[in-house]
Amino acid sequence: MSSRRSRISEEEITELISKLQSLLPETRRRGASRASAAKVLKETCNYIKSLHREVDDLSDRLSELMATMDVDSAQAEIVRSLFRS
Amino acid sequence: MQVPNSFKLALLKQMLLGFQLSAVSSNSMSFHERKNAIKLSADAAMVFARGSTRWTRGLVASLSKNRNNEDLLRGILGKKYERLSLPCCNSWKIPRSRKILKRCLGLCSRRKKATGTQHDVKSSSTLARRLVKKRIQVLKKLLPGGDSMEGFSLLDQTLDYAVSLKAQVDVMRRLLKISKASNLNK
Repeated sequence: MSSRRSRISEEEITELISKLQSLLPETRRRGASRASAAKVLKETCNYIKSLHREVDDLSDRLSELMATMDVDSAQAEIVRSLFRS
Repeated sequence: MQVPNSFKLALLKQMLLGFQLSAVSSNSMSFHERKNAIKLSADAAMVFARGSTRWTRGLVASLSKNRNNEDLLRGILGKKYERLSLPCCNSWKIPRSRKILKRCLGLCSRRKKATGTQHDVKSSSTLARRLVKKRIQVLKKLLPGGDSMEGFSLLDQTLDYAVSLKAQVDVMRRLLKISKASNLNK
């Protein structure tokens, strides 16, 4: 049996890295050229960390709000308004 | 890269379900209890919307470590809970991909036999190698279930996770905005 060629190629990995780069907010703002893979890795880590912080902050604010909110009747209203927008 | 609207809708629905199940609007909850319930609901809802993949299974595994979370997890994930709790069978290794990844990231020493000062090239490439290695380690810690991933899957799952996280943030932001706007107070 001849050696099994892996289906993953260098191009695929490079493509993944450029997809990651296109996710990053920095890139979207500056319309960046190709950054080094190492830079993309670093920025990706920072991006994920900032998303975690945002979730934490939003949870804080939702928590304050939920204390005074009637979630049950809110649910229908919320889903409805999402369909509208 | 964006998720489809159906993803966000499913996420929202399950998150609201989680709020109901954990009775977030009850007066008996402390701020922290409420916040944890909200976070847990948001994460479980994200898992539900995404379905089964390595990072979602990793996330369920880490959330399940706390016994108190089990009821809410089951409530939100329903039938999916069992499947997502299965241990990740380590699929066939892709040794070649790890090498390719390392090459892409400039980690392979063999290529660095440059002209010019051997010493200089060696120290800068060693530094670069160490730096990239460090960053991969950081990434593995950030990604749920990342410790068992390498190469292509690590990057692929990272992309998938980041996109889902962004959707989670978007949904929570929207929910906050709408909840404030609709004066549905007790």
